[in-house]
Amino acid sequence: MSDISTLAEPPLPPESGPAPKIAVRNLDFFYGARRALKSVSVDFPANRTTAIIGPSGCGKSTLLRSLNRIYDLYPGQRATGEVGFEGRNLLDPDISVTELRREIGMVFQKPTPFPLSIRDNVAFALKHFERLSPAALNDRVEGALRQAALWDEVKDKLNASALGLSGGQQQRLSIARTLAVRPQVILLDEPTSALDPISTLRIEELLDNLVREVTVIIVTHNLQQAARCSHRTLFMYEGELIEAGETGALFTSPAERRTSDYISGRFG
Amino acid sequence: MEHTVKAFDEELDAITAELARMGGLAEAEVADSIRAIGEGDPGLAASVIARDARLDALEREIERRAIRLIALRQPVADDLRHTVSAMKISSNLERIGDLAKNIAKRAVVIVESEPLTPLTSSIERMGELVSARLKTVLDALATREVELAVTVWRNDHEIDEHYDTIFRELLTYMMGDPRTIAACAHLLFVAKNLERIGDHATNIAEILHFEITGVELTEERPKSDALMKAEA
Repeated sequence: MSDISTLAEPPLPPESGPAPKIAVRNLDFFYGARRALKSVSVDFPANRTTAIIGPSGCGKSTLLRSLNRIYDLYPGQRATGEVGFEGRNLLDPDISVTELRREIGMVFQKPTPFPLSIRDNVAFALKHFERLSPAALNDRVEGALRQAALWDEVKDKLNASALGLSGGQQQRLSIARTLAVRPQVILLDEPTSALDPISTLRIEELLDNLVREVTVIIVTHNLQQAARCSHRTLFMYEGELIEAGETGALFTSPAERRTSDYISGRFG
Repeated sequence: MEHTVKAFDEELDAITAELARMGGLAEAEVADSIRAIGEGDPGLAASVIARDARLDALEREIERRAIRLIALRQPVADDLRHTVSAMKISSNLERIGDLAKNIAKRAVVIVESEPLTPLTSSIERMGELVSARLKTVLDALATREVELAVTVWRNDHEIDEHYDTIFRELLTYMMGDPRTIAACAHLLFVAKNLERIGDHATNIAEILHFEITGVELTEERPKSDALMKAEA
Protein backbone atom coordinates (compact mmCIF):
# COMPACT_ATOMS: atom_id res chain seq x y z
CA MET A 1 0.00 0.00 0.00
CA SER A 2 1.33 3.40 -0.85
CA ASP A 3 2.26 5.76 1.91
CA ILE A 4 -0.15 8.67 1.95
CA SER A 5 2.65 11.15 2.56
CA THR A 6 4.27 10.27 -0.76
CA LEU A 7 1.01 11.04 -2.55
CA ALA A 8 0.70 14.53 -1.15
CA GLU A 9 2.20 17.34 -3.15
CA PRO A 10 5.10 19.15 -1.51
CA PRO A 11 3.80 22.42 -0.10
CA LEU A 12 4.41 25.61 -2.03
CA PRO A 13 7.06 27.90 -0.58
CA PRO A 14 5.37 30.53 1.58
CA GLU A 15 4.42 33.83 -0.01
CA SER A 16 7.27 36.17 0.63
CA GLY A 17 5.55 38.02 3.45
CA PRO A 18 4.47 41.57 2.90
CA ALA A 19 6.93 42.13 0.01
CA PRO A 20 5.37 40.98 -3.28
CA LYS A 21 7.55 39.97 -6.23
CA ILE A 22 6.16 42.81 -8.33
CA ALA A 23 4.25 45.77 -6.89
CA VAL A 24 2.37 47.92 -9.41
CA ARG A 25 1.29 51.37 -8.24
CA ASN A 26 -0.86 53.91 -10.10
CA LEU A 27 0.10 52.51 -13.46
CA ASP A 28 -1.27 54.37 -16.48
CA PHE A 29 -0.61 53.29 -20.02
CA PHE A 30 -1.10 55.21 -23.22
CA TYR A 31 -1.31 54.07 -26.83
CA GLY A 32 -0.76 57.51 -28.25
CA ALA A 33 -3.58 59.55 -26.71
CA ARG A 34 -5.68 56.55 -25.70
CA ARG A 35 -5.41 55.68 -22.01
CA ALA A 36 -5.45 51.87 -21.86
CA LEU A 37 -4.66 51.43 -18.17
CA LYS A 38 -6.25 53.68 -15.56
CA SER A 39 -4.27 53.97 -12.35
CA VAL A 40 -3.83 50.24 -11.76
CA SER A 41 -2.35 49.21 -8.40
CA VAL A 42 -1.82 45.53 -7.64
CA ASP A 43 0.69 43.15 -6.04
CA PHE A 44 1.96 39.96 -7.65
CA PRO A 45 3.00 37.59 -4.85
CA ALA A 46 6.18 35.54 -5.28
CA ASN A 47 5.91 31.82 -6.10
CA ARG A 48 2.27 32.11 -7.04
CA THR A 49 0.44 32.00 -10.35
CA THR A 50 -1.65 35.07 -11.01
CA ALA A 51 -4.17 34.99 -13.86
CA ILE A 52 -5.42 38.16 -15.52
CA ILE A 53 -8.85 37.92 -17.11
CA GLY A 54 -11.28 40.33 -18.76
CA PRO A 55 -12.98 41.01 -22.08
CA SER A 56 -10.98 41.97 -25.17
CA GLY A 57 -9.54 45.45 -24.91
CA CYS A 58 -9.77 45.56 -21.09
CA GLY A 59 -6.04 46.15 -20.70
CA LYS A 60 -4.95 42.72 -19.49
CA SER A 61 -2.27 42.22 -22.14
CA THR A 62 -1.23 45.85 -21.73
CA LEU A 63 -0.67 45.29 -18.02
CA LEU A 64 1.38 42.19 -18.77
CA ARG A 65 3.42 44.01 -21.41
CA SER A 66 4.16 46.81 -18.95
CA LEU A 67 5.84 44.40 -16.57
CA ASN A 68 8.87 43.83 -18.80
CA ARG A 69 8.52 46.90 -21.00
CA ILE A 70 7.97 45.00 -24.20
CA TYR A 71 6.00 48.08 -25.26
CA ASP A 72 9.33 49.98 -25.52
CA LEU A 73 9.66 48.37 -28.93
CA TYR A 74 6.72 50.39 -30.24
CA PRO A 75 6.76 54.16 -30.74
CA GLY A 76 3.91 56.17 -29.20
CA GLN A 77 3.40 53.73 -26.32
CA ARG A 78 4.25 54.87 -22.82
CA ALA A 79 3.60 54.00 -19.20
CA THR A 80 3.59 56.18 -16.10
CA GLY A 81 3.44 55.21 -12.45
CA GLU A 82 5.50 52.56 -10.73
CA VAL A 83 6.30 48.90 -11.33
CA GLY A 84 8.33 47.92 -8.26
CA PHE A 85 10.69 44.94 -8.63
CA GLU A 86 13.76 44.26 -6.47
CA GLY A 87 13.63 47.74 -5.02
CA ARG A 88 13.61 49.50 -8.39
CA ASN A 89 10.94 51.10 -10.54
CA LEU A 90 11.04 49.20 -13.82
CA LEU A 91 9.60 52.18 -15.69
CA ASP A 92 12.73 54.14 -14.84
CA PRO A 93 14.54 55.01 -18.12
CA ASP A 94 17.89 53.94 -16.56
CA ILE A 95 16.77 50.34 -16.35
CA SER A 96 18.48 48.05 -18.87
CA VAL A 97 15.58 46.41 -20.67
CA THR A 98 17.79 43.52 -21.79
CA GLU A 99 18.68 42.71 -18.18
CA LEU A 100 15.06 43.30 -17.19
CA ARG A 101 13.75 40.81 -19.76
CA ARG A 102 16.21 38.26 -18.49
CA GLU A 103 14.72 38.60 -14.97
CA ILE A 104 11.16 38.83 -16.25
CA GLY A 105 10.76 36.57 -19.28
CA MET A 106 7.82 36.41 -21.63
CA VAL A 107 6.04 33.72 -23.61
CA PHE A 108 3.65 34.74 -26.38
CA GLN A 109 0.40 33.43 -27.78
CA LYS A 110 2.02 31.84 -30.79
CA PRO A 111 5.07 29.65 -30.28
CA THR A 112 8.20 31.51 -31.42
CA PRO A 113 10.78 28.88 -32.45
CA PHE A 114 13.84 30.25 -34.20
CA PRO A 115 14.83 28.44 -37.41
CA LEU A 116 17.62 26.70 -35.51
CA SER A 117 18.13 23.34 -33.84
CA ILE A 118 16.20 22.55 -30.67
CA ARG A 119 19.44 22.87 -28.67
CA ASP A 120 20.36 26.24 -30.17
CA ASN A 121 16.87 27.61 -29.56
CA VAL A 122 17.29 27.02 -25.85
CA ALA A 123 20.98 28.05 -25.79
CA PHE A 124 20.29 31.25 -27.75
CA ALA A 125 19.78 33.70 -24.90
CA LEU A 126 22.10 31.77 -22.59
CA LYS A 127 25.04 32.35 -24.94
CA HIS A 128 24.15 36.02 -24.99
CA PHE A 129 24.07 36.43 -21.21
CA GLU A 130 26.62 33.94 -19.88
CA ARG A 131 29.99 32.49 -20.82
CA LEU A 132 29.60 28.79 -20.24
CA SER A 133 31.74 25.78 -21.12
CA PRO A 134 30.13 23.45 -23.68
CA ALA A 135 29.41 20.90 -20.91
CA ALA A 136 27.85 23.53 -18.67
CA LEU A 137 25.82 24.85 -21.60
CA ASN A 138 24.49 21.36 -22.32
CA ASP A 139 23.54 20.95 -18.67
CA ARG A 140 21.63 24.21 -18.72
CA VAL A 141 19.84 23.28 -21.97
CA GLU A 142 18.85 19.91 -20.51
CA GLY A 143 17.71 21.55 -17.26
CA ALA A 144 15.52 24.07 -19.08
CA LEU A 145 14.02 21.39 -21.35
CA ARG A 146 13.26 19.23 -18.30
CA GLN A 147 11.63 22.18 -16.52
CA ALA A 148 9.52 22.78 -19.60
CA ALA A 149 8.50 19.08 -19.63
CA LEU A 150 9.93 18.63 -23.11
CA TRP A 151 13.19 16.77 -22.46
CA ASP A 152 11.88 13.21 -22.82
CA GLU A 153 10.36 14.02 -26.20
CA VAL A 154 13.42 15.74 -27.74
CA LYS A 155 16.50 14.33 -25.99
CA ASP A 156 17.34 12.12 -28.99
CA LYS A 157 16.97 14.89 -31.58
CA LEU A 158 18.48 18.01 -30.02
CA ASN A 159 20.17 18.88 -33.32
CA ALA A 160 16.97 18.60 -35.34
CA SER A 161 15.20 21.77 -36.42
CA ALA A 162 12.78 23.23 -33.90
CA LEU A 163 10.37 23.92 -36.76
CA GLY A 164 9.68 20.16 -36.99
CA LEU A 165 8.08 20.09 -33.54
CA SER A 166 4.31 20.11 -32.99
CA GLY A 167 2.59 23.33 -31.86
CA GLY A 168 2.42 22.20 -28.24
CA GLN A 169 6.08 21.16 -28.30
CA GLN A 170 7.10 24.47 -29.88
CA GLN A 171 5.28 26.34 -27.12
CA ARG A 172 7.07 24.29 -24.45
CA LEU A 173 10.33 25.01 -26.30
CA SER A 174 9.54 28.73 -26.11
CA ILE A 175 9.02 28.30 -22.37
CA ALA A 176 12.30 26.36 -22.08
CA ARG A 177 14.13 29.18 -23.86
CA THR A 178 12.64 31.70 -21.45
CA LEU A 179 13.56 29.52 -18.46
CA ALA A 180 17.14 28.84 -19.59
CA VAL A 181 18.35 32.23 -18.37
CA ARG A 182 16.75 31.55 -14.97
CA PRO A 183 14.25 34.40 -14.73
CA GLN A 184 12.47 35.24 -11.49
CA VAL A 185 9.16 35.93 -13.19
CA ILE A 186 7.59 34.58 -16.36
CA LEU A 187 4.80 36.37 -18.17
CA LEU A 188 2.56 34.36 -20.48
CA ASP A 189 0.17 36.00 -22.93
CA GLU A 190 -2.52 33.50 -23.97
CA PRO A 191 0.09 30.74 -24.11
CA THR A 192 -2.31 27.91 -24.98
CA SER A 193 -4.91 29.58 -27.21
CA ALA A 194 -3.43 27.92 -30.29
CA LEU A 195 -3.03 24.50 -28.68
CA ASP A 196 -5.18 21.36 -28.44
CA PRO A 197 -6.66 20.41 -25.02
CA ILE A 198 -3.98 17.88 -24.09
CA SER A 199 -1.09 20.22 -25.00
CA THR A 200 -2.90 22.91 -23.00
CA LEU A 201 -3.11 20.68 -19.93
CA ARG A 202 0.60 19.78 -20.30
CA ILE A 203 1.50 23.48 -20.22
CA GLU A 204 -0.74 24.04 -17.21
CA GLU A 205 0.89 21.11 -15.42
CA LEU A 206 4.34 22.47 -16.18
CA LEU A 207 3.35 25.92 -14.87
CA ASP A 208 2.08 24.27 -11.72
CA ASN A 209 5.53 22.75 -11.16
CA LEU A 210 7.44 25.88 -12.20
CA VAL A 211 5.74 28.11 -9.70
CA ARG A 212 7.81 26.58 -6.90
CA GLU A 213 10.80 28.39 -8.38
CA VAL A 214 9.42 31.35 -10.29
CA THR A 215 6.51 33.76 -10.15
CA VAL A 216 4.01 33.16 -12.95
CA ILE A 217 1.65 35.73 -14.46
CA ILE A 218 -0.69 34.54 -17.18
CA VAL A 219 -3.17 36.41 -19.35
CA THR A 220 -5.94 34.16 -20.58
CA HIS A 221 -9.31 34.36 -22.31
CA ASN A 222 -10.09 30.90 -21.08
CA LEU A 223 -11.84 31.36 -17.75
CA GLN A 224 -11.68 27.67 -16.88
CA GLN A 225 -7.92 27.87 -17.44
CA ALA A 226 -7.63 30.80 -15.03
CA ALA A 227 -9.71 28.84 -12.50
CA ARG A 228 -7.64 25.66 -12.97
CA CYS A 229 -4.14 26.97 -12.93
CA SER A 230 -3.91 30.16 -10.85
CA HIS A 231 -3.74 30.99 -7.17
CA ARG A 232 -4.90 34.56 -7.63
CA THR A 233 -7.07 36.09 -10.32
CA LEU A 234 -7.32 39.71 -11.44
CA PHE A 235 -10.40 40.86 -13.32
CA MET A 236 -9.93 43.91 -15.53
CA TYR A 237 -12.52 45.95 -17.38
CA GLU A 238 -12.03 49.04 -19.57
CA GLY A 239 -8.50 49.64 -18.32
CA GLU A 240 -9.34 49.33 -14.65
CA LEU A 241 -8.59 46.60 -12.17
CA ILE A 242 -12.07 45.70 -10.93
CA GLU A 243 -11.27 42.86 -8.55
CA ALA A 244 -8.24 40.90 -7.37
CA GLY A 245 -8.66 37.87 -5.18
CA GLU A 246 -7.88 34.28 -4.34
CA THR A 247 -9.00 32.27 -7.38
CA GLY A 248 -11.35 29.91 -5.52
CA ALA A 249 -13.11 32.82 -3.83
CA LEU A 250 -13.31 34.90 -7.00
CA PHE A 251 -14.97 32.08 -8.98
CA THR A 252 -17.46 31.14 -6.25
CA SER A 253 -18.28 34.43 -4.53
CA PRO A 254 -16.87 37.40 -6.42
CA ALA A 255 -17.20 40.68 -4.55
CA GLU A 256 -18.08 42.79 -7.58
CA ARG A 257 -21.20 42.51 -9.72
CA ARG A 258 -19.19 43.13 -12.91
CA THR A 259 -16.83 40.27 -12.08
CA SER A 260 -19.77 37.96 -11.48
CA ASP A 261 -21.51 38.97 -14.71
CA TYR A 262 -18.33 38.51 -16.74
CA ILE A 263 -17.20 35.14 -15.37
CA SER A 264 -20.70 33.68 -15.55
CA GLY A 265 -20.99 34.62 -19.22
CA ARG A 266 -23.39 37.56 -19.03
CA PHE A 267 -21.20 39.96 -21.01
CA GLY A 268 -17.81 40.21 -22.64
CA MET B 1 -28.42 40.40 -16.37
CA GLU B 2 -29.15 37.60 -18.81
CA HIS B 3 -26.56 35.14 -20.06
CA THR B 4 -25.15 35.64 -23.53
CA VAL B 5 -26.15 32.03 -24.16
CA LYS B 6 -29.96 31.97 -23.69
CA ALA B 7 -30.13 28.20 -23.18
CA PHE B 8 -28.06 28.62 -20.00
CA ASP B 9 -30.80 30.87 -18.53
CA GLU B 10 -33.49 28.41 -19.58
CA GLU B 11 -31.72 25.53 -17.88
CA LEU B 12 -31.19 27.50 -14.66
CA ASP B 13 -34.83 28.66 -14.74
CA ALA B 14 -36.03 25.09 -15.18
CA ILE B 15 -34.16 24.05 -12.02
CA THR B 16 -35.61 27.03 -10.12
CA ALA B 17 -39.14 26.14 -11.25
CA GLU B 18 -38.83 22.47 -10.24
CA LEU B 19 -37.47 23.50 -6.85
CA ALA B 20 -40.43 25.85 -6.32
CA ARG B 21 -42.77 22.99 -7.23
CA MET B 22 -41.00 20.72 -4.71
CA GLY B 23 -41.34 23.41 -2.04
CA GLY B 24 -45.08 23.68 -2.63
CA LEU B 25 -45.57 19.90 -2.48
CA ALA B 26 -43.47 19.52 0.69
CA GLU B 27 -45.32 22.35 2.39
CA ALA B 28 -48.70 20.79 1.56
CA GLU B 29 -47.57 17.33 2.74
CA VAL B 30 -46.52 18.71 6.12
CA ALA B 31 -49.75 20.73 6.60
CA ASP B 32 -51.98 17.80 5.54
CA SER B 33 -50.20 15.26 7.74
CA ILE B 34 -50.83 17.50 10.76
CA ARG B 35 -54.44 18.08 9.71
CA ALA B 36 -54.91 14.30 9.39
CA ILE B 37 -54.06 13.96 13.08
CA GLY B 38 -56.06 16.99 14.20
CA GLU B 39 -59.18 16.08 12.25
CA GLY B 40 -58.76 12.33 12.59
CA ASP B 41 -58.87 11.89 8.82
CA PRO B 42 -57.22 8.63 7.65
CA GLY B 43 -58.12 9.41 4.02
CA LEU B 44 -56.06 12.59 4.11
CA ALA B 45 -53.19 10.68 5.74
CA ALA B 46 -53.33 8.11 2.92
CA SER B 47 -53.17 10.85 0.31
CA VAL B 48 -50.02 12.32 1.93
CA ILE B 49 -48.39 8.88 1.82
CA ALA B 50 -49.30 8.48 -1.84
CA ARG B 51 -48.10 11.98 -2.84
CA ASP B 52 -44.61 11.60 -1.42
CA ALA B 53 -43.36 9.63 -4.44
CA ARG B 54 -43.80 12.78 -6.56
CA LEU B 55 -41.39 14.64 -4.28
CA ASP B 56 -38.80 11.88 -4.58
CA ALA B 57 -39.08 11.97 -8.37
CA LEU B 58 -38.65 15.75 -8.45
CA GLU B 59 -35.52 15.52 -6.31
CA ARG B 60 -33.97 13.06 -8.77
CA GLU B 61 -34.99 15.32 -11.65
CA ILE B 62 -33.34 18.39 -10.08
CA GLU B 63 -30.18 16.41 -9.35
CA ARG B 64 -30.08 15.16 -12.94
CA ARG B 65 -30.53 18.67 -14.36
CA ALA B 66 -27.95 20.18 -11.99
CA ILE B 67 -25.30 17.56 -12.79
CA ARG B 68 -25.92 18.06 -16.50
CA LEU B 69 -25.65 21.84 -16.14
CA ILE B 70 -22.37 21.56 -14.21
CA ALA B 71 -20.95 19.20 -16.83
CA LEU B 72 -22.02 21.20 -19.87
CA ARG B 73 -21.98 24.83 -18.73
CA GLN B 74 -19.35 24.96 -15.98
CA PRO B 75 -21.30 27.47 -13.88
CA VAL B 76 -19.35 29.86 -11.67
CA ALA B 77 -20.17 32.57 -9.12
CA ASP B 78 -23.97 33.11 -8.61
CA ASP B 79 -24.79 30.37 -11.12
CA LEU B 80 -22.59 27.84 -9.35
CA ARG B 81 -23.97 28.73 -5.94
CA HIS B 82 -27.52 28.55 -7.32
CA THR B 83 -26.98 25.13 -8.90
CA VAL B 84 -25.31 23.55 -5.87
CA SER B 85 -27.84 25.16 -3.59
CA ALA B 86 -30.75 23.74 -5.64
CA MET B 87 -29.32 20.23 -5.22
CA LYS B 88 -28.91 20.67 -1.48
CA ILE B 89 -32.29 22.31 -0.93
CA SER B 90 -34.06 19.63 -2.96
CA SER B 91 -32.57 16.91 -0.80
CA ASN B 92 -33.72 18.75 2.33
CA LEU B 93 -37.22 19.05 0.85
CA GLU B 94 -37.21 15.38 -0.02
CA ARG B 95 -36.35 14.56 3.62
CA ILE B 96 -39.15 16.87 4.79
CA GLY B 97 -41.50 14.87 2.57
CA ASP B 98 -40.30 11.60 4.12
CA LEU B 99 -40.89 12.96 7.61
CA ALA B 100 -44.39 14.18 6.65
CA LYS B 101 -45.12 10.76 5.18
CA ASN B 102 -43.99 9.18 8.46
CA ILE B 103 -46.30 11.51 10.39
CA ALA B 104 -49.16 10.51 8.07
CA LYS B 105 -48.49 6.78 8.71
CA ARG B 106 -48.61 7.41 12.45
CA ALA B 107 -51.77 9.51 12.00
CA VAL B 108 -53.55 6.39 10.69
CA VAL B 109 -52.69 4.51 13.95
CA ILE B 110 -53.39 7.48 16.23
CA VAL B 111 -56.81 8.06 14.66
CA GLU B 112 -57.79 4.46 15.46
CA SER B 113 -56.95 4.76 19.19
CA GLU B 114 -58.72 6.58 22.05
CA PRO B 115 -58.99 10.33 21.40
CA LEU B 116 -56.24 12.32 23.20
CA THR B 117 -57.61 15.76 22.41
CA PRO B 118 -55.36 18.01 24.55
CA LEU B 119 -52.27 16.26 23.20
CA THR B 120 -53.28 16.31 19.57
CA SER B 121 -53.99 20.05 20.00
CA SER B 122 -50.43 20.58 21.28
CA ILE B 123 -49.11 18.65 18.29
CA GLU B 124 -51.28 20.72 15.97
CA ARG B 125 -49.91 23.95 17.47
CA MET B 126 -46.36 22.72 17.00
CA GLY B 127 -47.27 21.62 13.47
CA GLU B 128 -48.61 25.09 12.68
CA LEU B 129 -45.39 26.67 13.94
CA VAL B 130 -43.26 24.31 11.85
CA SER B 131 -45.47 24.86 8.79
CA ALA B 132 -45.13 28.62 9.24
CA ARG B 133 -41.32 28.33 9.40
CA LEU B 134 -41.28 26.19 6.31
CA LYS B 135 -43.53 28.65 4.52
CA THR B 136 -41.27 31.57 5.46
CA VAL B 137 -38.13 29.85 4.20
CA LEU B 138 -39.89 28.87 0.97
CA ASP B 139 -41.00 32.49 0.58
CA ALA B 140 -37.35 33.48 0.99
CA LEU B 141 -36.48 30.94 -1.71
CA ALA B 142 -39.04 32.45 -4.08
CA THR B 143 -38.39 36.13 -3.36
CA ARG B 144 -34.61 35.86 -2.67
CA GLU B 145 -35.14 37.91 0.51
CA VAL B 146 -32.21 36.83 2.60
CA GLU B 147 -33.60 38.49 5.73
CA LEU B 148 -36.56 36.08 5.74
CA ALA B 149 -34.12 33.16 5.70
CA VAL B 150 -32.15 34.67 8.58
CA THR B 151 -35.37 34.98 10.63
CA VAL B 152 -36.07 31.26 10.23
CA TRP B 153 -32.49 30.40 11.09
CA ARG B 154 -32.53 32.58 14.20
CA ASN B 155 -35.86 31.29 15.56
CA ASP B 156 -35.24 27.56 15.33
CA HIS B 157 -35.06 27.39 19.14
CA GLU B 158 -38.82 28.07 19.39
CA ILE B 159 -39.54 24.76 17.70
CA ASP B 160 -37.06 23.01 19.99
CA GLU B 161 -38.79 24.50 23.01
CA HIS B 162 -42.17 23.33 21.75
CA TYR B 163 -40.76 19.85 21.34
CA ASP B 164 -39.41 19.86 24.90
CA THR B 165 -42.84 20.85 26.25
CA ILE B 166 -44.67 18.15 24.30
CA PHE B 167 -42.08 15.59 25.38
CA ARG B 168 -42.84 16.37 29.04
CA GLU B 169 -46.60 16.43 28.48
CA LEU B 170 -46.50 13.01 26.82
CA LEU B 171 -44.41 11.52 29.64
CA THR B 172 -46.97 12.77 32.19
CA TYR B 173 -49.83 11.18 30.21
CA MET B 174 -48.13 7.85 29.77
CA MET B 175 -47.32 7.64 33.48
CA GLY B 176 -50.87 8.64 34.38
CA ASP B 177 -52.63 6.13 32.11
CA PRO B 178 -50.63 3.23 30.61
CA ARG B 179 -53.44 2.56 28.07
CA THR B 180 -52.37 5.73 26.25
CA ILE B 181 -48.76 4.55 25.85
CA ALA B 182 -49.09 3.24 22.28
CA ALA B 183 -50.75 6.41 20.94
CA CYS B 184 -48.47 8.66 23.00
CA ALA B 185 -45.37 6.91 21.67
CA HIS B 186 -46.59 7.63 18.14
CA LEU B 187 -47.27 11.25 19.05
CA LEU B 188 -43.76 11.48 20.50
CA PHE B 189 -42.35 10.42 17.12
CA VAL B 190 -44.66 12.86 15.38
CA ALA B 191 -43.27 15.66 17.57
CA LYS B 192 -39.70 14.49 16.85
CA ASN B 193 -40.45 14.45 13.12
CA LEU B 194 -41.83 17.98 13.32
CA GLU B 195 -38.72 19.08 15.16
CA ARG B 196 -36.59 17.59 12.40
CA ILE B 197 -38.67 19.28 9.71
CA GLY B 198 -37.82 22.51 11.55
CA ASP B 199 -34.13 21.57 11.36
CA HIS B 200 -34.42 21.02 7.62
CA ALA B 201 -36.08 24.44 7.27
CA THR B 202 -33.11 25.89 9.15
CA ASN B 203 -30.70 24.03 6.83
CA ILE B 204 -32.49 25.49 3.82
CA ALA B 205 -32.18 28.96 5.39
CA GLU B 206 -28.40 28.46 5.76
CA ILE B 207 -28.01 27.16 2.19
CA LEU B 208 -30.06 30.10 0.85
CA HIS B 209 -28.01 32.60 2.80
CA PHE B 210 -24.80 31.32 1.21
CA GLU B 211 -26.42 31.16 -2.20
CA ILE B 212 -27.64 34.75 -2.09
CA THR B 213 -24.78 36.45 -0.26
CA GLY B 214 -21.79 34.17 -0.92
CA VAL B 215 -21.12 34.22 2.83
CA GLU B 216 -21.76 31.38 5.28
CA LEU B 217 -24.05 31.87 8.28
CA THR B 218 -21.66 31.03 11.09
CA GLU B 219 -22.78 33.13 14.01
CA GLU B 220 -23.73 31.13 17.16
CA ARG B 221 -27.41 30.25 17.07
CA PRO B 222 -29.49 30.17 20.30
CA LYS B 223 -29.94 26.50 21.30
CA SER B 224 -32.47 25.00 23.67
CA ASP B 225 -31.02 22.55 26.19
CA ALA B 226 -34.28 21.97 28.10
CA LEU B 227 -34.52 18.47 26.64
CA MET B 228 -31.09 17.50 27.91
CA LYS B 229 -32.24 18.44 31.40
CA ALA B 230 -35.51 16.52 30.93
CA GLU B 231 -33.68 13.38 29.83
CA ALA B 232 -31.08 13.59 32.59
